[in-house]
Amino acid sequence: MSEAASRLAPAERLRVAVHAVDPRRRTALGKIIAEAGHVVVGVNDAAEVVLVDGDTPPGERRPVVTLGGADDDLPGVLSGNADASQIDAAIRAVAAGLVVRLPGTREGGFGAMRETLGHALLTPRELDVLAALAEGLTNKAIARRLDISLHTVKFHVESLFRKLGARTRTEAVAKASERRRDETITL
Amino acid sequence: MTDQPDLLAQFSNALATRAEAAESAVVAIRLAHERHITGMLWHSGIVVASEQSLPRKDEFELVAPGGAVLSAKIAGRDPSTNIAILRPDAPIASPSIVAGAARTGAIALTIGADGTGGASARLGLVNLAGPEWHSSRGGLIDRRILLDVRLARREEGGPVFDASGSYLGMSTFGPRGQVIAIPTATIERIVPQLAKDGRIARGWLGVALQAVAVPDALRETADQSGGLMVMSVVENGPAAQAGILAGDIILSIDGTSAHRLRKIARHFGADSIGRRADLRLIRSGAVMTVQTTIAERHAA
Repeated sequence: MSEAASRLAPAERLRVAVHAVDPRRRTALGKIIAEAGHVVVGVNDAAEVVLVDGDTPPGERRPVVTLGGADDDLPGVLSGNADASQIDAAIRAVAAGLVVRLPGTREGGFGAMRETLGHALLTPRELDVLAALAEGLTNKAIARRLDISLHTVKFHVESLFRKLGARTRTEAVAKASERRRDETITL
Repeated sequence: MTDQPDLLAQFSNALATRAEAAESAVVAIRLAHERHITGMLWHSGIVVASEQSLPRKDEFELVAPGGAVLSAKIAGRDPSTNIAILRPDAPIASPSIVAGAARTGAIALTIGADGTGGASARLGLVNLAGPEWHSSRGGLIDRRILLDVRLARREEGGPVFDASGSYLGMSTFGPRGQVIAIPTATIERIVPQLAKDGRIARGWLGVALQAVAVPDALRETADQSGGLMVMSVVENGPAAQAGILAGDIILSIDGTSAHRLRKIARHFGADSIGRRADLRLIRSGAVMTVQTTIAERHAA
């Protein structure tokens, strides 16, 4: 290890307290922390970050990364099934004074129930084609995936452009995702 | 020189006087990291806030007019109308509230809490005053009030006044940073129910839906051109228990065409809870009917 690297390494090693009600979860999370190169400390020991499975115990004053907790105002908010790399990234970010959020949690705003007019509604098949477009697939690859002819794919893509008012594939994907965000309703 | 009063100075002084008076109409609701949002003082010591921006906690610290800090408990929240209410531990004097009617083009004075017991002010117009509308979460909002004003995050939830000092509503963020007001009439309708029950009961199936066109081949069998495709199903929710799958296209619910979202939303009011609902839907090319039982929606 170079001198610079050995000087850096201890700084990246964080003291992390793990709080989980389920002892198996506690063990699993402790393992993730240790494997990421951090030090797992006791719940009441000095720690740069507290990793909490679910809801945070009252009175916790240290920076918290929660996994699926209801309080969405903590410095770090991840879902209950976050993977090891996400947990490590969140811990490092929060220790550095940053805020971590899942994408899509605070966009939107309070909006109206929106409705696309009948003739511009997409068909389920068009949604399939759109999902493939969003992955950057070519027409040929889309035809193969959906087991339809190249001609049919072109027909669907043209119909998508018309219904979404898009001129390019990228624009179609962007407009469709905007529509999906605005028009998805929950019942 | 004339003795004519300077109209601009008068206008400015009048606004400053209003903004000063509005200090007694708002509280700061403290969040983590030195941030806050605004709460609006309502009748009987209740604080009204923007539900979407209030973290899911039971207790908050408030900074009352003048700077006193006290704690307050959440007394109810309704995501469908974006209204939450808090009850402070110690009484804060409520201002007298007169509901005003929004008119397109009228002046709107939007007030926020500055976090130390004072107020911040924004001047704009009612960009558009329109009819009632339904939120994407199914709530009925009595009027559409778009504001031509910028708003800081910390100011969201404060009152919007018209030129006579009447309350047009509570400021909040709509889609894409648009600033809107939840009308006073909506707050007046929702707050008593929230204060009583802590929530606005709504029916729930546990699905996210998006409108789609019915494929041509099925149009005749389905007898309609559009439906609602199930995008996701909440685990163990009523829809999941009834075997509803992502990808199903719902055509009608108890005979109400799924074409009309607003009608469908009305179908899920408080009285729907516990009721059976027949879902006519398309699954793998066939039309079928699935029976579900509507449950109660819990706070998101």
